[in-house]
Amino acid sequence: MARDKIYSEEEFPSPLLQLWYNFKQTPVVMVGFSCFLFLTLLAIFSPLLTPYTSVENNLSFLLLPPAWHDDGNVSFLLGTDNLGRDMLSRLIHGTSLTFGLSFIVVLISLVIGVVIGSISALTSGIKSSFLNHFLDVILSIPSLLLAIVIVAILGPGLSNTLWAIIMVLIPQFVHITRNAVTEEFKKDYVLASRLDGASSLRILHYSVFPNIVEKLISQATLAQSAAILDIAALGFLGLGAQIPMPEWGAMLKNGIDLFYIAPWTVYLPGLAILFSVVATNLVGEGMRHALKMRKEA
Amino acid sequence: MFLLSLLSFSLSFLFPGEQLINISGQINATTQQLALLAEQYQSHDNIFQQYLAYIDKLFHGDLGLSMASQQPISTEIISFLPATIELSLVALLLAMTVGIPIGFIAAIYHRKMADNVILSVSMIGYSIPVFWLGLLAILIFSIQLGWLPSAGQISLLYEIEHVTGIQFFDILISSSPYKWQAFQNASSHIFLPACVIALAPATIFVRLARTAMMDVLDSQYIRAAKAKGLSFWQMIYHHAIRNAMVHVIRDVGLQFANLVTLAMVTEVIFSWPGIGRWLIESISQRDYTAIHGGLLALSSFIFVVHIITDFIYAALNPLARENKHGS
Amino acid sequence: MMYFQRKQLNSIFILSCLWFVAACDGNNKHSLSENSIIYCSEGSPESFNPQTVSSGTTIDATSNQLYNRLISYKGERNSIAPSLAKSWHVTRDGKMITFYLRKNVSFHKTSFFTPTRFFNADDVLFSFNRILSVNHPYHHVSGGKYPFFQSVNFSTVVDSIEKINDYTVRFKFKYADSSILANLASDFAVILSKEYADKLAEKNQQQKIDTAPIGTGPFKLKEYRAGAYIRFATHENYWQKNISIEQLIFDITPSNTGRLTKLLAGECDVIAFPIAHQKIKSKPALELEEVTSFNVAYLGFNTEKPPFNNIKVRQAIALSVNKNEIINTVYRGKADIAHSLLPTTSWAYNKGILPQPFDIEKAKVLLADAGFPEGFTMNLWALPVQRAYNPDAVTMAKLIQANLKKIGIKVVIENSLDMGTFLDLLSRGEHQSVLLGWSADHPDPDNFFTPLLSCSAALSGNNRTFWCNEEFDNLTHQALQTTNILQRKRIYTKALAIIATETPLIPIAHSKRFQARHSNVSGKLLSPFGGIDFSEVSKN
Repeated sequence: MARDKIYSEEEFPSPLLQLWYNFKQTPVVMVGFSCFLFLTLLAIFSPLLTPYTSVENNLSFLLLPPAWHDDGNVSFLLGTDNLGRDMLSRLIHGTSLTFGLSFIVVLISLVIGVVIGSISALTSGIKSSFLNHFLDVILSIPSLLLAIVIVAILGPGLSNTLWAIIMVLIPQFVHITRNAVTEEFKKDYVLASRLDGASSLRILHYSVFPNIVEKLISQATLAQSAAILDIAALGFLGLGAQIPMPEWGAMLKNGIDLFYIAPWTVYLPGLAILFSVVATNLVGEGMRHALKMRKEA
Repeated sequence: MFLLSLLSFSLSFLFPGEQLINISGQINATTQQLALLAEQYQSHDNIFQQYLAYIDKLFHGDLGLSMASQQPISTEIISFLPATIELSLVALLLAMTVGIPIGFIAAIYHRKMADNVILSVSMIGYSIPVFWLGLLAILIFSIQLGWLPSAGQISLLYEIEHVTGIQFFDILISSSPYKWQAFQNASSHIFLPACVIALAPATIFVRLARTAMMDVLDSQYIRAAKAKGLSFWQMIYHHAIRNAMVHVIRDVGLQFANLVTLAMVTEVIFSWPGIGRWLIESISQRDYTAIHGGLLALSSFIFVVHIITDFIYAALNPLARENKHGS
Repeated sequence: MMYFQRKQLNSIFILSCLWFVAACDGNNKHSLSENSIIYCSEGSPESFNPQTVSSGTTIDATSNQLYNRLISYKGERNSIAPSLAKSWHVTRDGKMITFYLRKNVSFHKTSFFTPTRFFNADDVLFSFNRILSVNHPYHHVSGGKYPFFQSVNFSTVVDSIEKINDYTVRFKFKYADSSILANLASDFAVILSKEYADKLAEKNQQQKIDTAPIGTGPFKLKEYRAGAYIRFATHENYWQKNISIEQLIFDITPSNTGRLTKLLAGECDVIAFPIAHQKIKSKPALELEEVTSFNVAYLGFNTEKPPFNNIKVRQAIALSVNKNEIINTVYRGKADIAHSLLPTTSWAYNKGILPQPFDIEKAKVLLADAGFPEGFTMNLWALPVQRAYNPDAVTMAKLIQANLKKIGIKVVIENSLDMGTFLDLLSRGEHQSVLLGWSADHPDPDNFFTPLLSCSAALSGNNRTFWCNEEFDNLTHQALQTTNILQRKRIYTKALAIIATETPLIPIAHSKRFQARHSNVSGKLLSPFGGIDFSEVSKN
């Protein structure tokens, strides 16, 4: 016969779970997180969700305002642009471009940055000091400027933009990883592991990384919001995604010419960018806040 | 600096097209002229010599000709850079005067509603893409309300000679009979773009000031002042602000680079005749020599600003100075 | 306490400064803007001498502002009226015209030139001999190209120009040409200053005649910043009526939205090629003007490059272009479909001309007949700037791209060049097909034929189709030999029929030219042909 538990057990959640509990506590942050998830879903499933393709020209329905206007049409919920392309479909496809690609870009630079950072933290001598100075120079140049430089060399285009942003974000991760690893290495538990006979790699893997993962994640969210803004900015300047790709920044650039006749072609992509950056920032803020609370607790 | 010059030198090899043409910009040169250029840039010697030749040219102020306009790039940069500096400085001033006090207020009312409101508004301000904000600002303030002009540095009605490039100085120097009107006109032209640029850095200043002020408020000497019997506001004015400011100033320098980048994008929207718009146009036109020169100029400028702010910080903060003189 | 006092003093000081600045507003700014007109133009001029160019942007900026011609167009019926020539006499056989010049006309006095004499016959001889004679010292200055004059065979028609006395000039022609007066009244036939030319030759700065111009027109050039603005000041000694404005500024704004923004924000008084007509009409402070222009937008084939040397290919494409769609999309309905090169407003237009059929199936058959059953790839060069005949060549190109896809042709659109390079490469025949157009320089119908499609224009590169048809050329020559309107109309109808069959180009639309201005700007600006003219404009 099952009996009720008499003794209440104390549960000690793992650090990650603690983080999650803290994270959940702020309602605003949860809203942001759900928006973030929503955007991720849109980015992945965009071809299935859109009513029209992103480049289809419906030449009989040019410059329709959104459906709530008198001239609007429900089959084009958010209106069309000057070549009859449906705004809603383009915005959704653009999610996978601007938002989805920024996510991937951050992931790639995170991995590469961590690898380079750990190597640099482990080695010392001329190579590492050279790397340090080089990094300092690059870190002092703002990310958008550096991205513009790289695109200037490689030429305009979406893939070049991505490479540029990856190259721009890597130093940030290298910097964080290197500082964090160096700091951790000074601590006692690492000394203890070494005395036990563990190699550097093993220490890194088992002891140090779990402790710096949180810093990396918070930096990753910062990097992602910067990446979204940079991809959009480069698209806007005509250096990134080219029309007819439905990248939000490029859509904005296209919309300027139509500003007076079809203002929704300017409002909508801008709102989309704002929405995704706010969602990312909320998630990042929430995470940093949760980290702080966990440290204080 | 050394690294910067190395990087920019390598750029000329990385750009598509012939290296010699990229570095000098003479697209219509005859074979004779090409030979002369080859002499000057020592392209027949090894890479090290070429690098030295390049540095030598730099010191003489020769950055080559722009491929699009065939004008010497150094003159173009000198005519455009001051406009960007003017815009960035005004934006920086705006960001500081607005952001820092608000940050202090947020720290003082920490964990109360004012703090939360300020933080949320600043988060949105930080997330708005600057180009979209510029377009909206023009729509609202230039067109619907008609308060501020939407493009250019000054109305073309005024003939102000281009002496320094910084509009306000040029107006003071010029001989036009309409000085005051020109001054007002220039201020109204600079206000909107400066505000647009200043928004994101202002929110960052809010955050920095808030953290700095919170740290200061927690410190011992503030508690001592409170114990002494100073009223709250007196304490803030006489002690807290100065100490918090010192911490904030250090980050101002870092923010300036960020601000200049935002300025570059905003210049395109407001047709501001600055180096950002020029650089972006050169990139679209694939004018490699111009890109080359512009990047070098811009990066050196940012570098110089960093050094200046480091000095200012050291001057203001005795603590930072101490290390340099040894203990 | 002291601390607070200092702060108060500071704030009082700042406030008083602001008040001082604010109070200094007012009277002066009003008079400055009352006497100036700012015009938002769509591009930078290539040169300041209309003789050497054909682009409308340059003509707008220079011809009527800086210069005068011997004769000009006036009035409702666009009849030829005296300008720098008080009167003229044409002989019965049409081979000689004598012009009697006006006295006491001064040239511009600027910071770089002061004239010492009035305008006389020497200036006329200089201005035209420069174009006619290859050995003239100024012929090759600035490139040696005179597109308009080459396209109307000026050097072939004109035998010589004689100076009878200081105020009389005689033109002798090798054969009669009924359009010669029209050509001399066009925006390109401006009169330059010989004195200035001589002075420049002394200093070996001849190209300045085209970059730092001197003329007799209502405005003189004060300052030019490429890509940014042109500043004109009024010519104090202008021989015609007094000009009511003191300053004319061209604010160069290539972006459509930028121009409209400046108009709405009050930074420009008049703008070129406005968009969003509804918005302008809805504002009482603004006015939208329109004029039915003598222009045509066309899709031209480079008939020297395969596959467009094959007439069936050209005809097939002509059958597949959906002109209605283009009118609705690109022109937003504000244009007429072009059934022929000539607009319906021209007196030579024949109502009997049938519209071009639109038949995809027939096109496919023709294409297969021509040897391309699978279609082919072609490039289509789209005009990079706005012109009166074509507000958006890129969108037009995209629509044509979609049209031609249906018959299997893949179109690659080329629109990354700037206008100068674009025109340059076109005249060298680097394109396969081009979206361009033509705004007539004067109301004589010959202006649509000879400069666009004649053999001599093909030689000079102005005929972008490089099409040279002897029968067509003979017809146009014939039409110039007579002044009988009915006869000419018959000849031109035959010529149009040849164009319709051979299809060196597909005429697409005749559009109206629009302009928007503030209601306080009055005076005639636009004309159905040629460039704009600010001499009669004033501000209330």
